[in-house]
Amino acid sequence: MSLSKRFLAELVGTFILVFFGPGAAVITLMIAKGSSPPNPFNIGIGALGGLGDWFAIGMAFALAISAAIYSIGRISGAHINPAVTIALWATKRFPSNEVAPYIVAQLIGASLGSLLFFACVGIEAVTVGGLGATAPFPGISYGQAILAEAIGTFLLMFVIMGVAVDQRAPPGFAGLVIGLTVGGIIITIGNITGSSLNPARTFGPYIGDSLVAGINLWQYFPIYIIGPIIGAVLAALLYDYLTKE
Amino acid sequence: MKCYICAEEGKETDAVAICIVCGMGLCMDHLVREEMEVWKGDYPFPSKKLKKTIPRIVCQVCYSAYKED
Repeated sequence: MSLSKRFLAELVGTFILVFFGPGAAVITLMIAKGSSPPNPFNIGIGALGGLGDWFAIGMAFALAISAAIYSIGRISGAHINPAVTIALWATKRFPSNEVAPYIVAQLIGASLGSLLFFACVGIEAVTVGGLGATAPFPGISYGQAILAEAIGTFLLMFVIMGVAVDQRAPPGFAGLVIGLTVGGIIITIGNITGSSLNPARTFGPYIGDSLVAGINLWQYFPIYIIGPIIGAVLAALLYDYLTKE
Repeated sequence: MKCYICAEEGKETDAVAICIVCGMGLCMDHLVREEMEVWKGDYPFPSKKLKKTIPRIVCQVCYSAYKED
């Protein structure tokens, strides 16, 4: 399979993730608009059904990730996440010269996902929903946010290693298990950092917010680069250590 | 083992292969040998078509059934 086809597949996969995942967060915020959240830690996601709001958003991510993995997994590998690409490269499972093209494809796909979601919904997707952009929640420090993102991505990558990279894993389950894992992580970490676990997933809404409404959240972007990459690389290295004879 | 198709025609010919699908004994005149592509890799690695192929021997009936797909 040529690199150009894999580039396109990775772009489409990340588009699917960002259109349907953060899109669910936008819709939740738009439905909750005008309600009175019970405390400052509640920004609207949670106003409708408590943690059930995060469960719904987590399931949207879970199904979008499963769809991407089962549809393009054999074409590009369906990393749809620069942290996953870097972790596979760091453990010598992915060629160095393809890391940059994959990340560029993921960033373009994520940006298109956000911009086309805005095109479908309109300006309130940005002004009310922020295109599902992630940022630390009230009371969460920069360092706490990095730590939470690292732990969440650690679990994601650890599961990827166990159900997909390890050749002893039973075939066919990876997409479902990895999707549900991300959904579960979002339920817990969603109200801490937005639970990005993925620099591209945060990049798309940030670009969309900047271009459409001039909203500047870029000061938080390092959280979603440092945390996920550290978590993913540590998980891959630990898995290799644990399974080495 | 004898060739099943030859036997149907009233001839007695030694079989040199067995159809991998239906198990029919086949002589050289009634077998079809196909080279099958082999792909390796699955999520999270892109699949690659291997240079080597795997030979498959089938009878003409099974071969035509596969080709209809």
